[in-house]
This record gives sequence, C-alpha cells and structure tokens, in this order.
Amino acid sequence: MNPVYASVREISEAIRTGETSPVDLAEVFIGRLREHGPKLNSVVTIMEGRALKEAKEAQREIREKGQGGPLHGIPYGVKDLIATRGAPTTWGAAPLKDQVFNHDATAVMRLRRGGAVLCAKLAMIELAGGMGYRQPYASFTGPCATPWSLKHWSGGSSSGSGSSVAAGLVPFALGSETWGSILSPANNCGVSGLRPTYGRVSRHGAMALSWTLDKLGPLCLTADDCGIVLEAVSGYDPRDTTTTRKRYKYKVEVDEFRLGVPKDALDETQEAVAGSFRESLRVLERFATVEEVEFPVFPYEAVTRTILNAEAASAFDEFTEEDLARGLTAPEDRYGPYARTILLARDYLKALRLRARMAEIAENVMSGYDAIVAPARKTAASPIDQEFRKVAPGTAKDVMGALGNGAGLPAISVPNGFSEEGLPTGIQFMGRAYDENRVLSVAVEYQRRTDWHRRHPPAFKA
Amino acid sequence: MESTRVEAETLFRLVEQLYGAVLAEAELEEVRKGVERIVEASSELRAVKLGNWDEPFTVFTPRRRRGK
Repeated sequence: MNPVYASVREISEAIRTGETSPVDLAEVFIGRLREHGPKLNSVVTIMEGRALKEAKEAQREIREKGQGGPLHGIPYGVKDLIATRGAPTTWGAAPLKDQVFNHDATAVMRLRRGGAVLCAKLAMIELAGGMGYRQPYASFTGPCATPWSLKHWSGGSSSGSGSSVAAGLVPFALGSETWGSILSPANNCGVSGLRPTYGRVSRHGAMALSWTLDKLGPLCLTADDCGIVLEAVSGYDPRDTTTTRKRYKYKVEVDEFRLGVPKDALDETQEAVAGSFRESLRVLERFATVEEVEFPVFPYEAVTRTILNAEAASAFDEFTEEDLARGLTAPEDRYGPYARTILLARDYLKALRLRARMAEIAENVMSGYDAIVAPARKTAASPIDQEFRKVAPGTAKDVMGALGNGAGLPAISVPNGFSEEGLPTGIQFMGRAYDENRVLSVAVEYQRRTDWHRRHPPAFKA
Repeated sequence: MESTRVEAETLFRLVEQLYGAVLAEAELEEVRKGVERIVEASSELRAVKLGNWDEPFTVFTPRRRRGK
C-alpha cells in the first residue's frame, strides 16, 4: 500500500489489515518531509526521534490491544505556533526561533492519546500575520509555495500545513485561523481545511493572536478526514475556559440539504474562481436546494478587525514596547504593531457589543440553511514574489470571513477546480455555530460526486 | 470627515511621541495610514446605535478556591 495521498481513513484501514504499519508510515513521511519540505519552504523542524518513538509505541499498542481509533499510527504535522515538547515552537518569527516549551498543547496531547504520530512542525507566516503582513516572504523560513507551482504562494498563515498536506508530506496537519488562516492555504494548496466553531478546540499551548477569535483546526486531503481529526482534538479543556462542554462526535448526515449563496458571492472574483464556483453549484443542486441569500448591511469587517487589532496589540505588547518587531522578516511587520496601540477601549468594547448583534444576524440569516456557500477566496494562489493584496485590489468586502470569524462559525474549504495556470480554486461551506457535522456532510457529499480532492500536484509524485 | 481626520492626526501624534524614536520616516508614514484605517473602522462602529443594556461579549468567571 502506498500511503502517500491516501486519506487518513484509507491509511487507517491499511494499518488495520496489516498492509502497513505505524513505523513504516513514519519513515515514509519523514523521508518526504526531508526530501520535499525545503523545495516548498513548508517545514520548520522534522521531529524524527519523537516520531519514531511514538510510531513504535503505536505499533506495540496495536499489536497488543488492537487499533484504538482511526488516528492510531497516523503521522501528522502541526503549525509551528502549537507548543510541542522536544522541538522549538518558533511562531514563524526570527526573534523566537529558539523558543522551546516543555509541554504539549492540548490538541497535541489529544492526538497523542488517539495514537497519532507527530512528525513535524510546519512553516507559518510570522506571528500568524499578527503584524499586518502583506506578502509571502513574511516568515523566517522563507515564502512557502503551493506544490501546484513553486512560483505561487501557499496561502497563510497556516502555510506549511496546507502545502505539506497537498504535497503528500503528511496525511494531515493542524493549522489555526483568526481570520482566513485555514481557509486561505486550503484554497491555494487544493486541500480540505476546516475552521471549527470558536471554543470547539482548546487553544491551550497555541500562540495567542486574538483570544476571542483564534481557532485551531485540521487541514486534510478530504472533508471526511477533517471530521475524524476534529473529533480527536475537540472537547472541553479546563486550561482554556472558552472551550465548549458540548461534546463533538463526527457523523455524516444524509439529508436534503438547504444551501444559501450570498447575492454578492462572485463580486470581484477571478474569472476562473467564478467558473469553478458556478460548476460547483450545478453539482450541489443535484443533492441540495440552493437559494440566494443576502446579509443585511452591517459593519462586519470593522467589528472583527477592531477586535483583532485590540487583542493583538495586547497579546504582542512586548513586540512594541521592547521593539522586538525590528527582528521580523517582512518590512511591514516591523512597523505594523504600532498603529493599533492607540485603539481606544470604548471602540474595542463597542466592537464586542456589536459582535453580539452580528451573531444574531448570522443566526437569523443562516437558521434556514445547512450552510452558506461561496468561493473560499476571490483568487487562486497569487505569485510568490508579489504582495497578495495587490493581486486582487478590489473593494469587495470579506463578509464571509468577517462574519464567520467574528461570530465564531465553522467553515470548510474544499477544492473545486483549477485556474488556467493549473492552480487550485476552492469553495467554502459555512455553517451555524456547532454545526460542523452539517457543514462536513455537505462537503463529504460534494467530494463523493467530484474528484478535485483526488488530484495531486504532478511535481510531487506519490 | 473633519472630526475623523482630526482624531486620526491626534492619535498619530501620540504614536509618534511614544514610538517615533524607533521608527524611520517612511515607517511613520505607514503607521499614519494604519491609524487612519483604525479610526475609520471605529467611526463605522460608532455609527451603529446600541441600547444601554446591549452587553459586550466577554468571558469572565469569578474564581474561588474550593473549601476556603
């Protein structure tokens, strides 16, 4: 069995039948991380010693007690803002390249409990973009490429998580999203990336950019795999008091789905993105009712942006007060944190008060739907040497991103086509709070009827 | 709007006072633009009317150790 580009579910079945073993898998994927990681700038640290130790333990457990669950013996990587024992956790930032924690983040502990095998810390935009980066070079490990074209950006800030999964360097990875950081690399790299409901996954041990916006989530080859990983990492954690006590069990639901498409979903999208999206709607209409929806006028972006700015200003206080930003890689990140130091408390609180109204708007509009559907991003991957904001400089608002993250709603991006340059495009399904299973069910059914997720970059053969 | 411009300029002067020594001229210009964007967003928020009873979404749980 060749595990490269096999889904987590398929690899798990191969372990069960004895076609492969955790140690074989760890060796295969460590080999690929070593061979291909540098070409993509997608890997910070390969954790060979820990991976082989965990793989041997998993192998022994499976031999003695049987397979414990679908992640038992499966290799994975994590975005380098998630704390792990035995390797630096750099947050993608040069001034912190030697930062070491002596504990594992809760999500990592839960994956370990499920028998998964940690193989690598994956590249990211420095401080998860918290300093206002504008270009792919904003990382001390260099600009991360999408495996579909080394001249194009992987997306960010979970850059290495998207790129590594897409190139078959790990079967799955964890990323994080404050505003767009899972959906963007999923879109640019052509993988499935799930942003869970805020509070679904413990943030303990993960770098804080914005305490009330940050979410950890999986990037995988399939939506089905995202559900498997989410079940393993989710749950209440006393070390993160914002985690929900609602238990999550992944389950694909079969139903006559109702989907809403925002009236302005295709405003200022690239032609290829619009084309892929229209084709996707034709597929969706075969198993769902698709209707146009309209979100009322509201300062969605101003609310989420103000919360993000205020919390990031506090979270990275020492970067301004001790001038640590000077050591960052991207020039714009060196002065980025200063402007927001003057954000007034009354405006932050107003944003937090309006957030309650925003969550109400989301419920009102979305309560009749299983998911709101839109292109994951307005463009395919931008050239690696250009400021990405200049590639699509339009004035269209990112309502889905602002509302989805501001109201803490789950969303998944899955691949739905290619641009003329052969770069992947993505479609996102955004659901109501705690409705990951509805969102995943729609995405799983979409992937059952399409094969975009089974196409892999030719330069990174299995 | 004049009041927004004045607010942005005043707040920018504060940043300049506090951090101007570590920022180059070109960087300060970028910071000025950043301050303007922040004030613009704040103006959008202030334009939405809320009731006195509309509370912010915050999480705070009073703590008390067991048995003490």
